[in-house]
Amino acid sequence: MSAQGAPQGEERKRNRYDFDRHAPGYRERFVEITEEMQSRCPVAWSETHGGHWVVSGNRELFEIARSAEYLSNDHDVKGERRGYQGINIPYAKRGKGMRGGFLEMDPPEQRHYRQALNPYLSPAAIQRWIPFLDEVARACIDEKIEQGSIDFIDDLANVVPAVFTLAMMGIPLRNWTIYNEPAHAGVYTRPDSPEMPRVIEMHIAMMRDLAGQLADVRKNPRPGLVDALVHAEINGQTPPDDELLGVLALLIGGGFDTTTALTAHALEWLSENPGERDRLSRERDTLLDSATEEFLRFYTPAPGDGRTISADCELAGTEFKEGDRVWLSWAMANRDPSVFPEPHTVDLDRKGNRHNSFGLGIHRCIGSNVARTAFKRMLLQVLDRMPDYRCDPEGTVHYETIGVIQGMRQLPATFTPGKRLGPGLDETLEILQKVCDEQRLAEPVTVRTTRADIPR
Amino acid sequence: MKVYVDPERCQGHTLCAMIAPKVFQLDDVDGHSSPISEDVPADQEELVAEAVRSCPERAISLIDEH
Ligand code: HEM
Ligand code: SF4
Repeated sequence: MSAQGAPQGEERKRNRYDFDRHAPGYRERFVEITEEMQSRCPVAWSETHGGHWVVSGNRELFEIARSAEYLSNDHDVKGERRGYQGINIPYAKRGKGMRGGFLEMDPPEQRHYRQALNPYLSPAAIQRWIPFLDEVARACIDEKIEQGSIDFIDDLANVVPAVFTLAMMGIPLRNWTIYNEPAHAGVYTRPDSPEMPRVIEMHIAMMRDLAGQLADVRKNPRPGLVDALVHAEINGQTPPDDELLGVLALLIGGGFDTTTALTAHALEWLSENPGERDRLSRERDTLLDSATEEFLRFYTPAPGDGRTISADCELAGTEFKEGDRVWLSWAMANRDPSVFPEPHTVDLDRKGNRHNSFGLGIHRCIGSNVARTAFKRMLLQVLDRMPDYRCDPEGTVHYETIGVIQGMRQLPATFTPGKRLGPGLDETLEILQKVCDEQRLAEPVTVRTTRADIPR
Repeated sequence: MKVYVDPERCQGHTLCAMIAPKVFQLDDVDGHSSPISEDVPADQEELVAEAVRSCPERAISLIDEH
């Protein structure tokens, strides 16, 4: 990646910067690249990946990302409209022919999907699940508490979001392992890796299970996001199955790896800053919310998304043409010093933290309440039950490329052992499955307003 | 002081209600925000100002009526 001198080609593309978020050095050079782009070219033209714009300045991103009338998320896989390529830059070959649910749609269809799913995912809807989340996190920690060592990824941060997402969908909890591996490995495995064929196989198995769930819910209705989709009317029609499968895959892809990444990075940082960890634990009533937003800002688990310009326009001082591709860097805009003083420092009680980690505008992450709540419930139990944990930097494995998700594969830690409080994970999932079925926990908040009641 | 939430801009990021729960209420179904009452009690002004600064969509305005 480098800045280029003399302008060449079209005048509107004079601010140039060769940007490649998939390059192996991007993670290490992130701060340097961000500072250079923001100071020289907050909206830059990059020749990489067939040529596209990169938005890194906060003010510019705010204006461009919210200009829904000039932006399209459409992924026109069948070539029925204008051939737009959706939200991945470069175009993900693996995703060819597969639309990424309503994230790769425009209104009105996208809005109709959100209206169908909102009552399952709103703040009030997610509140009801707190006892459920606590019980899954409790069981995960009980599996390891007596031995004094844990891998925060494998043993906690992967499990809780996966089990919770399936519960909300209305998919049997014990199936979480079918979804867990492909959801994470699909993100961190490089296309040319020898592991790839195995990852693709697991991905196929996951899609097969999803298709089976869709058919099963149609035959034997049970509450949850799958049921909401089966009954959804999108633009006056019942969508075809391949479209619904894309939406289900989006819920899995959106919900698993991002929440894991947030949790892992926060736990790693708190291990490196034990004084701040103790303060967070002590002052949690006032600090937990702002600390969560600060970890979201600083680590930006989903670092950016692409758009296609849908009509010639001028935005944030740049002239765009219909069909131009634009990369919205939530991660870089979250480090803009004009909005965030000392942007490269974690400040647990940061004020005015208007970060972009859940996106901006009409595609704002519909799972943001899920992510925040799952993260907080996991973190609190770690602070309570293993307050002196230490992560092992030798064993920690970050994703090589942070182009898709700023994630981690392994985060081993040790701590003073403690006592178990209840049954292990498998037994707990059986009990929770019964609770889900009997209390119909996955009903939308419009049908059931009461909290989950976990017998113990 | 009076507070307004622009429904066209609000996307339900929930930060306002997290910061000033006595002033903002979130819709049960879509999480979008509205003030419980337009009039901001004096002891809430600071929190509302912080909510204004924290709203990612810049949907909230606080207006001094005097
Ligand atoms: C820390 C965790 C998470 C982060 C950082 C995150 C980030 C994001 C971002 C940045 C967007 C906007 C993308 C764009 O505008 O192009 C988005 C959209 C979305 N997210 Fe999340 N997400 C997280 C957790 C979740 C969870 C838990 C779920 C599901 C339960 C989820 C489901 C979705 C869906 C369905 C969309 C598409 C919304 C639309 O297009 O209208 N996300 N997410
Ligand atoms: S913080 Fe802003 S966008 Fe979020 S709910 Fe409040 S007013 Fe709406």
